[in-house]
Amino acid sequence: MANFKIKKGFDIKVEGKPKAFIEEYATQHLFAVYPSEFEGLKPRLKVQAGDIIKRGDVLFENKQNEKMLFRSPCSGTVRAVNLGERRFPVEILIECDLQNQESITFETYTSETIGKLPKKQLVDHLLNTGLWPLIKQRPFSKIADPEASPKAVFINAAGSAPFQADFSLILKGDEEAFQTGINALAGLTEGAVHLCKSAGSDIPDFKNAESHIFSGKHPSGNTSVHINRISPIQPNDTVYTIAAQDVILIGKLLTTGELPKTKVIALGGPGVKEEFRQHYKVEVGANLQPLLEKALEDREVRIISGNVLSGDQIPQNTCARYYGSEIFVLEEDRSRNILGWTMPGLLQYSVHRVNLSSFLKLKQSWKLGTNTHGSHRAMVVTGWMDRYQPLNIMTDYLVRAALALDTDEMIQLGILETDPEDFALASFIDPHKTDVCGIIKRGLEEIEKEGI
Amino acid sequence: MKFLFDFMDKKIAPLFEKGGKFELFHPLFEMGDTFFRTPPDVTKSAPHIRDSIDQKRLMVFVIYALFPCLFFGIWNAGNQFNTANGVENATFWTDIIRGSSMVLPIIFVSYLVGGLWEVLFACVRRHEINEGFLVTGMLFPLVLPPTLPLWQVAIGISFGIVIGKEIFGGVGYNILNPALTARAFLFFAYPAQISGDKVWVGSFGDVPLLDKLLGTVAENVDGVTRATPLAIAAAAETGTDAVTALNTSGFTLSNLTLGTIPGCIGSTSAVAILLGAVFLLITGIASWRVMLSGLIGCAAMGALFNVLPLDNSFAALPFVYHIVMGGFLFGIVFMATDPVSCSATNTGKLIYGFLIGALTVLIRVANPAYPEGAMLAILFMNVMSPLIDHFVVQAHIKKRTAYARALNNA
Repeated sequence: MANFKIKKGFDIKVEGKPKAFIEEYATQHLFAVYPSEFEGLKPRLKVQAGDIIKRGDVLFENKQNEKMLFRSPCSGTVRAVNLGERRFPVEILIECDLQNQESITFETYTSETIGKLPKKQLVDHLLNTGLWPLIKQRPFSKIADPEASPKAVFINAAGSAPFQADFSLILKGDEEAFQTGINALAGLTEGAVHLCKSAGSDIPDFKNAESHIFSGKHPSGNTSVHINRISPIQPNDTVYTIAAQDVILIGKLLTTGELPKTKVIALGGPGVKEEFRQHYKVEVGANLQPLLEKALEDREVRIISGNVLSGDQIPQNTCARYYGSEIFVLEEDRSRNILGWTMPGLLQYSVHRVNLSSFLKLKQSWKLGTNTHGSHRAMVVTGWMDRYQPLNIMTDYLVRAALALDTDEMIQLGILETDPEDFALASFIDPHKTDVCGIIKRGLEEIEKEGI
Repeated sequence: MKFLFDFMDKKIAPLFEKGGKFELFHPLFEMGDTFFRTPPDVTKSAPHIRDSIDQKRLMVFVIYALFPCLFFGIWNAGNQFNTANGVENATFWTDIIRGSSMVLPIIFVSYLVGGLWEVLFACVRRHEINEGFLVTGMLFPLVLPPTLPLWQVAIGISFGIVIGKEIFGGVGYNILNPALTARAFLFFAYPAQISGDKVWVGSFGDVPLLDKLLGTVAENVDGVTRATPLAIAAAAETGTDAVTALNTSGFTLSNLTLGTIPGCIGSTSAVAILLGAVFLLITGIASWRVMLSGLIGCAAMGALFNVLPLDNSFAALPFVYHIVMGGFLFGIVFMATDPVSCSATNTGKLIYGFLIGALTVLIRVANPAYPEGAMLAILFMNVMSPLIDHFVVQAHIKKRTAYARALNNA
């Protein structure tokens, strides 16, 4: 138990915070699973269009580790397998059979028995049921390596980016499942399970987990910051990380013996109509199009799975994804400002003092859009990227090393403990419009390829 | 307006797109287009929102910061000319007009020639025109004497842009400050016209028609050459007092601070420079670390020379004079803070600024061949700044490794 005060950081004030209320979302006929969500995965399909499947049937497996299976969230008929580039299956559409909700059952455990299970059996169970990919690892921030022996597990119940689902709300009523999930995670590591919360959030302490409270502005809720303050990664270290809601999913799987049926998603952002900005309890994989059609503003918008700083753009005819608890909607802002280089800058959101808004209006909420507000220029190492970086990594130099694919310097400066999301603010404030997150992602890929 | 913009987007823009008639000149079109309106681009990946700052705005704001120096420089050039040439009916306005006729052509040539190089490289390399040249093109004239022949301005800015910047790959890749590189080139290539120890108050062609505007120039007055305060201080004989030597030549602490003395266009007035510095600091563009540590370095080295038992009257000069004389203040505020060539780490900036200040005084006092030390000090530290940063980064790596070890063992 410890309190950490994160001094550096910045909260971007965007309009459209979801209300702390969960609405039950109607049952849907169409479900989808997106193999493309699992970065770097090489899927081997086990179904084809027309197959009749049960809830929990295997849809595809990981070619590199055939124990890692991915299962269907509902029973019904496979309507289509849509292929993308190089015949990669980007989505599997399933027509749900509402009459026949037959489900495959797995072994059940209790909160106590799960703690006594040998690690190997537990890992195999999670791999087999298709929930293992919820657990990620550092370095490289990819699906956790089942063979690794992590020195700790970090549960992120904090979340400081605009906006993240309110975990204290999600937790209500599922405390038991959450405890079971923690017990299972404790079995994966020799070290401790760290439960990291935001200051002021209403989350109790749990057994088998060390609670930590992080206060301060964004990125105080990022997992990398938690790791850095509690147990920094050195080369050859591995830690597992997981989002708090996913711990509940694992807990439910273990106690009920069935795949967890629902999860909570927060819908927010300036592109969502006021009355729809709230949390929704949706079935995993369920079609979200009916909701989005109603909820979105009638303009060109961008839908983001995840938060606005680190999420991915998704189409409107989307289903609830495997990862992420947020859907953020922004307006596509293609507007052009006359003489933008010299106007007072009262109407443009900026943290830089060359815009008047930075003196006067940083406290109010802004209806931000996707405009870059400038064109791309060569990167200049100014030290500005470090302005809101609580990780002790010399952001500018790390980015430069990553740009040059200098793996030694990247590792020395601490890239292994980061995820591209930690560079979102650096990218946000950069006047040269450098794609910092992309550069770090490629840097990490290079290190993974070359070895540490 | 809307009609005009629609016309631009539909009719003109396609000509410069890929496959269009003027594809080669796309950077030129892009420059003009984004001058009038910010680009319509949207983010391609996370983070999906961006700050509304861009390089254009940053660079233009640096130019705004230079305005006090520019306006003062124009007035001062005219005033010095009129005083030296004994113009009888000179007023504030004839000073301004005379000054403009001397200064504006230099700025025009600097922008024209510098701009041509920038556009040429942008078109050939197919990158966008970088706004950095706007600042270079303004900084360079401000560190020139107003009487410099225009062909030298053209050669100087060409050297600065091409050798100082473009051969490295353009803004962001250069090692030296391009404007200072250009000045250093002229300093060594044409010392007679630019030399740090003598400035021409100079006569400029006399056009009878403009008599009314410019004032009547007394006949038979050739260009007058006056030694700069730095040269006087350096030449002060052993045993005499450098301050007295300055005073007898007409340089007092007050006119050195105000800048009502002959010298480079923009760098004589400490007051105008400080106005610019305050603007840069309020807007957060330039680093206060470089400026502050530079001043401290200059003061510390000046004070050190004061106490050292040296047989040199320049060494005994109070450090305040070092700060207001010559190009030091202009250099530390506008040149040393150039984000590309300056140190990038916070600690590095402090070391870098301090050493510029200290080296300036060292060169001035200890090296009689180069009375103006600021230019050389900044260029030298430009070269050294990657080295400083290297050591700062290495020290940082050691510290963070120790931090990780300590936490893990705890």
